[in-house]
Amino acid sequence: MKFNRLVLALAMIAGAFQAPAIYAQTLDPHTLTLFQRPPKVWPTYNGDYSGRRFSTLKQINQSNLGQLKLAWMYRITGIPPLRGVGSPQIKSTPLLVDGILYFTVADHVFAVNAHTGDLIWRYDWVDHGGHLEGQRGVGMYGQWLYFMTPDDWLISLEAKNGKERWRKKIADVTLQYFSSMAPLVVKNHVLVGVGGDAMDVPGFLEARDPETGALQWRWWTEPLKKGDPGSDTWPNQAAMRHGGGMTWIPGTYDPKLNLLYWGTGNANPVYAGQSRKGANLWTASIVALNPDTGKLAWWFQASPHDTHDWDNVETPVLFDATIDGKPRKLLAQATRSGYFFVLDRTNGKSLVSKPFSGGNWSKGIDEKGQPIPNPEKQPLPDGSLINTPAGGGTNWPPPSYDPQTQLFYVNAQLGYSINYLYDTSAHPQGYGGGGQSLDTRSALLALDIRTGDARWKHIAGGKAGLVKSAGVTGGILTTAGRLLFTGDSGRLVAFDPASGKILWSQILAKNVSNGPETFILNGKQYLVVGAGDTLYAFTLAGH
Amino acid sequence: MQRQFLYSLFATAILLPLPGLAQQPAKPPAHPNRASRTAQFLGLGPAPDQAAAKKGKVLFGQNCSSCHGENARGGEGPNLLRSIVVLHDQKGEAIGKVVRSGPGMMPAFTNLTDQQIYQIAEYLHEQVYLATNRGTYGEQYATSKSSGNAQKGKEFFAAHCASCHSVTGDLAHIGSKYPTVDAIQNRFLWPRSRQQAVQGTVTTPSGQKITGKLKQLNDFDVALTDADGHYHYWPRQQVKVSVQHRLAGHRALLPVYTDADIHNLAAYLLTIK
Repeated sequence: MKFNRLVLALAMIAGAFQAPAIYAQTLDPHTLTLFQRPPKVWPTYNGDYSGRRFSTLKQINQSNLGQLKLAWMYRITGIPPLRGVGSPQIKSTPLLVDGILYFTVADHVFAVNAHTGDLIWRYDWVDHGGHLEGQRGVGMYGQWLYFMTPDDWLISLEAKNGKERWRKKIADVTLQYFSSMAPLVVKNHVLVGVGGDAMDVPGFLEARDPETGALQWRWWTEPLKKGDPGSDTWPNQAAMRHGGGMTWIPGTYDPKLNLLYWGTGNANPVYAGQSRKGANLWTASIVALNPDTGKLAWWFQASPHDTHDWDNVETPVLFDATIDGKPRKLLAQATRSGYFFVLDRTNGKSLVSKPFSGGNWSKGIDEKGQPIPNPEKQPLPDGSLINTPAGGGTNWPPPSYDPQTQLFYVNAQLGYSINYLYDTSAHPQGYGGGGQSLDTRSALLALDIRTGDARWKHIAGGKAGLVKSAGVTGGILTTAGRLLFTGDSGRLVAFDPASGKILWSQILAKNVSNGPETFILNGKQYLVVGAGDTLYAFTLAGH
Repeated sequence: MQRQFLYSLFATAILLPLPGLAQQPAKPPAHPNRASRTAQFLGLGPAPDQAAAKKGKVLFGQNCSSCHGENARGGEGPNLLRSIVVLHDQKGEAIGKVVRSGPGMMPAFTNLTDQQIYQIAEYLHEQVYLATNRGTYGEQYATSKSSGNAQKGKEFFAAHCASCHSVTGDLAHIGSKYPTVDAIQNRFLWPRSRQQAVQGTVTTPSGQKITGKLKQLNDFDVALTDADGHYHYWPRQQVKVSVQHRLAGHRALLPVYTDADIHNLAAYLLTIK
């Protein structure tokens, strides 16, 4: 069976595996392919390398949703409120390997029995700074887990007991770098990125050796020196090396093309662009990198010369589809800038560039398909109104692509914002401005990958309740059971991915806060979702 | 910039020989909640010692600004807000070493006392804090000077706002209540606090109509309290709900405004003291 082979392959790599008959928590990244994985695992943040968050499982399907019931719940206890954030919120997507779920909140890793919801171990870190706002989960290689701390340590743990193997400092928290990413394991590379735009520091993505943590390569999101490719999009060295562009959400990977796809964050200073005239490559972009060398293969900039805090880190989703009668290898991204892009992932050439939320910050698109910023709609000292909310058209919660409907699903924000330039000096620092959202509402959109048009949209109704917000929340999962799962107003909801009709819902204690996932254990399909401080698992009654 | 961690860990060891320990606590900012909430969220330390920073600013002007720029953001010498030494400094100990030794092109300043170096350091930490902590921006950059034309704003008000609002009635003194450009604009564009008080009417399957203050309204649930204060709940699919949006007029204007309209209206409303 495929998974046993996977375990054995790993045993050779790990060199420490004694008895394959005994269940052990191991994962060999070499056995993972673009769109396929064994049904018994959820081995990466997105479940596979594609970022589609589509599962071929269909035990749970449109015909039997009425039998879906709670199997267990695991509530985080014994952790005090997180500094500056409050009660821990599960934003990570748990990994599932050999019946154990591994998930995180800032400073803490949990291993929970996926059959019962019992805690097996917990790892606690004491941070010395950094943001505790988010933590997206762990990466896994062999018997080892990889976890990033708010203060920029990459920590390797033993999966069996949560014991620390080693730690490596990847950035300086005193410069306002912080780390919240789920490390992505590709071949023998642990890929890690950073966050933080309160100070003006350059972003980077780096690869580490899974055995030792040694640095293999580092790719900076800005050119290193004037004269290098891309440096003509910056006015000077100082602006370029303080230009932002963080890498805080796991990217995706095509093993056949051997290309890694990553989104980069907004440029710095965030709202004040006067000291960094130019397009500011490679901030607010999608980049394709060779995972063995860190060399840039192609790039596409989603928000050239960004002045609206539009991190472009949203998952670059990979899928294959027939366009105009030809099979194509594609990449799609719904971005904070409010644009939906579909690119040829072999070369970055644009097929679709269309706004799904506002878009009047741009004057249209250039010959490469990239939006052209409208100088009149950049932040102004007296404010400039745009028809996209201040947080952008969407954010980090993972979207989904369903090959059965050939639609791309995203939880979007619609509305307006007014954006101010505060620091008008020649040398602005930090944010230098800010935005205020006006009349926003959330919507689940089903985007046509050929046109970018919304085939259907579900605008979440109404007004906030007493304890939960009214609106779609968290990430999205689609399945071969013709189901789309996401959060809406404090519930986990199943939609019909073809029509947008609500088919089923379950009240949870808090809003859905992560991307739902699914897998098979002992012949039962599980649906697992995080909402606030609690992880919930559902199965069908009678199974 | 996350100095509080080192403060708590090494408070005695590091701070004893330094004059900082004798200082009064920093004066709290005018809006402590927003600034300190953001500082906490960002993992910044406490606000720097403002009294020392004030003295440090003068000393910086006398000794440092000719090379490092008026506000330390660089000139002939480097930008000190992005200096690794400054960012790692706690209370002047690291900055002091550089100032006294004068590495590279920089002259050595042997005449400055420990107290003065501490004050310069606090000035630099304050500059970093003010740039990094966006929770301080509202106060830092508050301005009542609008680029708009108040007369045109008055005309816009008459054409688009006067059917619901009056500057001698509900909006009397609005310019005093929201005295800055961003505050008054954010208020008239979308008065968020008014958004919460939504009235709704629910029509039940039997045709009964109940009007009240909506407590919950989403894709699944409707709840309201009626005029007598009773709480009612219905599954959303079983009833019809009509909502009286108090902000319907504001919503209708958002696609209509030009930036100039907004600036003009702000200039006008800021005159309504």
